Amino acid sequence: MEKAKGNKQAADASGDGILALKNVTKKFGDNVVLDDISLTMEKGKTTVVIGPSGCGKTVLIKHFIVLLRPNMGEIYFRDRRIDNLGEHELDKIRTHFGFLFQGGALFDSLSVAENIVFPIKQHYKITDRSKVDELVTTKLALVGLDGFQSHYPANLSGGQRKRVALARAIALNPEVILYDEPTTGLDPIRADIINELILKLQRGLGVTTVVVTHDMTSVYKIADRIIMLHHGKIIADGDAEHIRNHPDSIVQQFIKGQVSENDLAVLRMGGSIIQAQLQPRDELEE
Amino acid sequence: MIETIGADVIKGVNNMGRFARFVLEVTKAAAWSCSRTRTYPLIWAQMHLIGVRSVPVVMITGAFVGMVLAVQAYDQLAGMGLEEHLGVLINISVVKELGPVLAAVMLAGRIGGALTAELGTMNVTEQIDAVRSMGTDPVRHLVAPRVLACLLLTPALIIFADLLGILGGYFVSVIQMDINNRAYWNFSAQGVELWDVSIGVIKGFFFGAAIAAISCYKGFTCREGAHGVGQACTEAFVASFISILALDFALAVIFKGIYNTFWPVRSLV
Repeated sequence: MEKAKGNKQAADASGDGILALKNVTKKFGDNVVLDDISLTMEKGKTTVVIGPSGCGKTVLIKHFIVLLRPNMGEIYFRDRRIDNLGEHELDKIRTHFGFLFQGGALFDSLSVAENIVFPIKQHYKITDRSKVDELVTTKLALVGLDGFQSHYPANLSGGQRKRVALARAIALNPEVILYDEPTTGLDPIRADIINELILKLQRGLGVTTVVVTHDMTSVYKIADRIIMLHHGKIIADGDAEHIRNHPDSIVQQFIKGQVSENDLAVLRMGGSIIQAQLQPRDELEE
Repeated sequence: MIETIGADVIKGVNNMGRFARFVLEVTKAAAWSCSRTRTYPLIWAQMHLIGVRSVPVVMITGAFVGMVLAVQAYDQLAGMGLEEHLGVLINISVVKELGPVLAAVMLAGRIGGALTAELGTMNVTEQIDAVRSMGTDPVRHLVAPRVLACLLLTPALIIFADLLGILGGYFVSVIQMDINNRAYWNFSAQGVELWDVSIGVIKGFFFGAAIAAISCYKGFTCREGAHGVGQACTEAFVASFISILALDFALAVIFKGIYNTFWPVRSLV
């Protein structure tokens, strides 16, 4: 039923949908990571994709700007099919997107300012350097890091790196911002700063936002719509209320952070082995 | 057994195909970069890293090649009373063969490893994906400047290696072994032609392109993690080294054919 709903959304891409996947399947060797996925992202809304580690969330988000190409299925941006375009045509399409990578993916050899100028330099001829400096200041101020222009990524904390990466992602004023695990590895306060920034950019700039995460605090704070992936398939799709009351036990276990009985049984068995392994060391300590 | 061999052969052919496609992309990107002046700063930066910083190591390699040749060959030639011909042997070996090949091997170690490690780390930390996500072709932005810098500067570095090789050989032969200075240079000038020097320098273009293309390809295709980057660096050096030797053989055959076509008779000494 959920799949049917997804298909319907893809078919309705001509409405408010800015981004759509139609029956997308992705395999790595024999491993099917995305299995016949269809969904549409609504313009100006925040869609959050959740799911356990290794379920294909990052693979899914990389399909939106065709960093990965599907084995089967189609990808649409503004009703134009993009998965069959050449890399040079895609380069133009990609300027409409901002992508925040999991680790930030800042260029180590460039300063913070040079990182933010990078996409601008690639697509515009810079004639007035002061305007570019002003733009860098504006973008950094937006993420609360004005004054860090001359710093290098190696000298920044994890949270600062993500914020600089976000400033770089919005350098070309994108219509869609894609976030891959934006709060992973951050303490709760830094994670909340990122959540606030996501909301600020979505509300202030009206951008369409797609977030991939397994941080449920973040999900409930920013999501207009939540999609859950499991074994490459969409098993739940709806707003926060719909997900909270979803009847599927896998969805409930995930959003409540509960381990399944099967996993518990495996852990209990592992525990006895660990105890046995510790014995020789205990003897040594004596 | 047959199944395993078959699978390995198919894997090897697939790898070759992917590499050939990568080389084609790099060739197109390099031609594009040459026609855009705004890409020149990227090429200059790589020329500094790849070329200028390699000068000392290449010069040291060349000097030792010349000196070792002089030490090794002196006794044989002196035994026949031909020690004054030592310059021909040293200089022709240095400019035609040992200078270019050993300089290229040094570059494969110094530059090839660095290129693979840099691009490999960029690959595993998603920086190459980041370049693509911002609407920029990573082959144009990252690979073409490196390949062009390597292609253009390896011949120049070989000239440095040759120069120091000749000086190293001269130092040992004339200063240490007391060979007559005039005779040493006269025989050298008779035996070594512009063609011999040119062959060595031309080889540099091929060696430079091979080192950069292989190293960048290995960096782009490296597996995740520290082990993946380390393995890619090792594979890049081994593949570059074998390519240098294979290209050296192929070019030697081709140049010999060309020489024999245009100058069929040539005195050896």
